[in-house]
Amino acid sequence: MNHVKLLFFATLRDRAGTKAMELDIPAELTIQGLKDKISNEYPNLRESMSSVLITINREYAFDDALIPPDAELAMFPPVSGG
Amino acid sequence: MEFPTIFSVTENEIDLNDLLARITLTSTGAAAIFTGMVRGKTTRGDAHETGYLEYEAYIPMAEAKMKQVADEIRMKWPVVEGIAIVQRIGKLYPKTPTVLIACTAAHRDTGVFEAARYGIDRLKEIVPIWKKEVSPDGEFWVEGDYIPRAGE
Repeated sequence: MNHVKLLFFATLRDRAGTKAMELDIPAELTIQGLKDKISNEYPNLRESMSSVLITINREYAFDDALIPPDAELAMFPPVSGG
Repeated sequence: MEFPTIFSVTENEIDLNDLLARITLTSTGAAAIFTGMVRGKTTRGDAHETGYLEYEAYIPMAEAKMKQVADEIRMKWPVVEGIAIVQRIGKLYPKTPTVLIACTAAHRDTGVFEAARYGIDRLKEIVPIWKKEVSPDGEFWVEGDYIPRAGE
């Protein structure tokens, strides 16, 4: 298992009801695998998984990316700064 | 010599004079500055009034992506001298400046206007900052529409 930190921002934080959580995930889990896991375990977040942006260690990551040990992950909607 | 690059996410007021002084070199003759502010009354598109905007950021990643935007500006416009990219976060009321992008160069006809324009456009695409719009009618998170590609 890998231990990772998952941060939430904006709508994802509101729906998750928390800013951050720590997770134990299987080694070799991909971003798609993480989305599936979150959809199953957190029904409030299921709807968000189709459009969410996900980062690994502060870089944008895509569905087939593998999550490394001790990663800092984040989930958020398309950005709206300015 | 090293050109100055400033990038920050801050809860403090944006100090244009200070930032401009820090990106002005003895060789500088022009600065293009874009600043955005909270619009209290919107008439284009979905007309509405805004009480305030509440900004939040994934600060360490936002500052890293601002640095990336500055690097992209330097690749495209090597004549640009200083670059400042600053986003203010927290609860911000109408007329308050929220963001500033400034680029300096020796002369105005060097692409410096386009460089600043590129900077604000890229900030709105890839820098992880969000705003919640709050009005007497309720509140909602504003969401962008840009999906970053691999390597962005």
